[in-house]
Amino acid sequence: MKTIGLEPLTRVEGHGRVELDLDRGRLTAVRVALIESPRLFESLVIGRSWQEIPALVCRICAICSSVHRVASAAALERALGVSVPPAARLVRELLVLGGHIESHALHLFCLVLPDILGVESVMALVAGGSAPAREGLELKRLGNRIQEISGGRVIHPINVEVGGILRLPERSRLQGLAEELEAWEGRIVDLLAVFARPQSYPPSSGAIGVPLSVSGGEGLHLFGQGLSLSGRMIASAEYRELLGEEAQPGSHAKSSRGSAGPFLTGALARLRNSGGEERGLPFGIFANNAAQAMELVEALRRARGLTREILALGEDEPLRGEVRVGAGVGTEVIEAPRGLLVHHYVLDDGGRVARADIVTPTAINQEAMAAQILADLQEVTDEALLASRAEQIVRAFDPCISCAVHLVRIR
Amino acid sequence: MKRLRIAYERFTSCSGCQLTLLNCEGELARLAAACDFISFSMASSRADDGGPLDLALVEGSISRPEELGRLLELRRRAGLLAAVGACALSGGVNVLDDRDRSLACARVYGDSARQMNNFPPQPLKRFVKIDLEIAGCPPEEEEYLTTLGALARGGVADLPPYAVCMECRWRENLCLLIEKKLPCLGPVTRAGCRAKCPSFGVVCEGCRGLAAEANLEEGFRLLLEMGLSEREVRALIGRFAGRILENHWS
Repeated sequence: MKTIGLEPLTRVEGHGRVELDLDRGRLTAVRVALIESPRLFESLVIGRSWQEIPALVCRICAICSSVHRVASAAALERALGVSVPPAARLVRELLVLGGHIESHALHLFCLVLPDILGVESVMALVAGGSAPAREGLELKRLGNRIQEISGGRVIHPINVEVGGILRLPERSRLQGLAEELEAWEGRIVDLLAVFARPQSYPPSSGAIGVPLSVSGGEGLHLFGQGLSLSGRMIASAEYRELLGEEAQPGSHAKSSRGSAGPFLTGALARLRNSGGEERGLPFGIFANNAAQAMELVEALRRARGLTREILALGEDEPLRGEVRVGAGVGTEVIEAPRGLLVHHYVLDDGGRVARADIVTPTAINQEAMAAQILADLQEVTDEALLASRAEQIVRAFDPCISCAVHLVRIR
Repeated sequence: MKRLRIAYERFTSCSGCQLTLLNCEGELARLAAACDFISFSMASSRADDGGPLDLALVEGSISRPEELGRLLELRRRAGLLAAVGACALSGGVNVLDDRDRSLACARVYGDSARQMNNFPPQPLKRFVKIDLEIAGCPPEEEEYLTTLGALARGGVADLPPYAVCMECRWRENLCLLIEKKLPCLGPVTRAGCRAKCPSFGVVCEGCRGLAAEANLEEGFRLLLEMGLSEREVRALIGRFAGRILENHWS
């Protein structure tokens, strides 16, 4: 019996470790440990005023900063009974889409493409003059630009506060953005084609995990009123019972081991729950990469529409709803690029946080990650190949490990 | 021009500093030409060869023994060590919970908190000498390029020691503090961001840390004058001031 430890996991966000148990050369058990340092956001917000929270919790993670900020503002709005004006909703949606685009482009072109092309990094690709890498980086830049225009800053956006937004994006910048998005229409599908091809990836058994996402209709929807577990609707407020979180020894992230689990969340889960077409996609978990590529196409289209809607707004549109401070409880569910994100706050009479709960997609995916590695690599005996294939499987989930340690105790 | 041998290490943080470097999408090719990233685990699967470094870029605070060990190793190997971002420079949001850490861990993780081996997050300068500082939460893409570009030519970038107000005035912004009576931390915050938040119409939150010449007493007084309570002013200035406030206003 021997254990191989893979650490650090490279080309993923955050610090993780995978342990592979081998018995007579064959894989018998897999453990995924998210060993990121605890930063205890759910503790540090306690006692703080509702006003401070979005700017603090967006710092859980830089890639997901926009979606954390919007989710926390929205959860606090529910707790305080604040009504958010339509103009603010539009701008927030554009911001979250920008983050979605940047994150998927980062994942596909910087973290996954090197595997497909057999190199160590995107730096090696751009140094070699790779056109797909260069264009993929332009797409990533577009996502960042959308976030900057709508959120005021590329990372840790400043334009989102409880009640709504602080100002409308600058018209000239929105117009430039609309033109840029139009120009991408013709390029995007070809650029992303490589990620949809089954031949780009190693073989994989079926993707493990019951798909969990925000509920909604067809197509890409990042916001929603409830949860969908493989099509079954569940109220947001019941997220805790559903996920049944518990702390895992050796891991700084809690694991979701609901009776229905393991769960799978992310682009592939969103595709499955919205009844999207899966024929012809890569096998197993690598379909998640293809699903991200499909979402990029739709995100650009939706961003175009939103940009036009925001340009059509009048200069004196209300941007922020009135806040009446008082006790309350609020839960917001939202799709981060890599899956379901939940923000939940309990406020006291003074509008200060009495309790906070932040459930992140990578923590939800932990069980499925380990199970997928075990299922996919049963027949692999070469240790170097085991290591590299295990990492590729982890990468396919697009983990964001800095987020994943931000869980709140349920019991 | 020989490439700079660089390691980018990340400790207790949000990855925003590393991401900001990767956000220099248009300049990545030139960066790759000037810099040899021998270890940068978010962006590269290249294994650290353990050799000497021209530069160690370090993001994040230190809160675990393993992190401290790695920091000391990098300091030993590197000609220059740059602390990047609020977490590395002052502790950032990591140090905002002043309460009993074991209690906080237990609250978040329950029983398994007993097995955790971590300590209150510390800025890098608590343990090692820092040669360069790239401030911000997040830092500025420009400042990375200026710093690395200067180093690649054998020099060191000259970064502004004055406060954000200077940059606001150069951009001819309306003063949010004086003219709009909003709680802006520009006067006490290190410049280098071109006052992007006040230029957007939003108050400076002080994410780049205190300016070298910051007059904290005056800053505190101005904010109190605006009708903020002492508690609110402390929360505002305290967000990125690290442990400075403890000693200043105890």
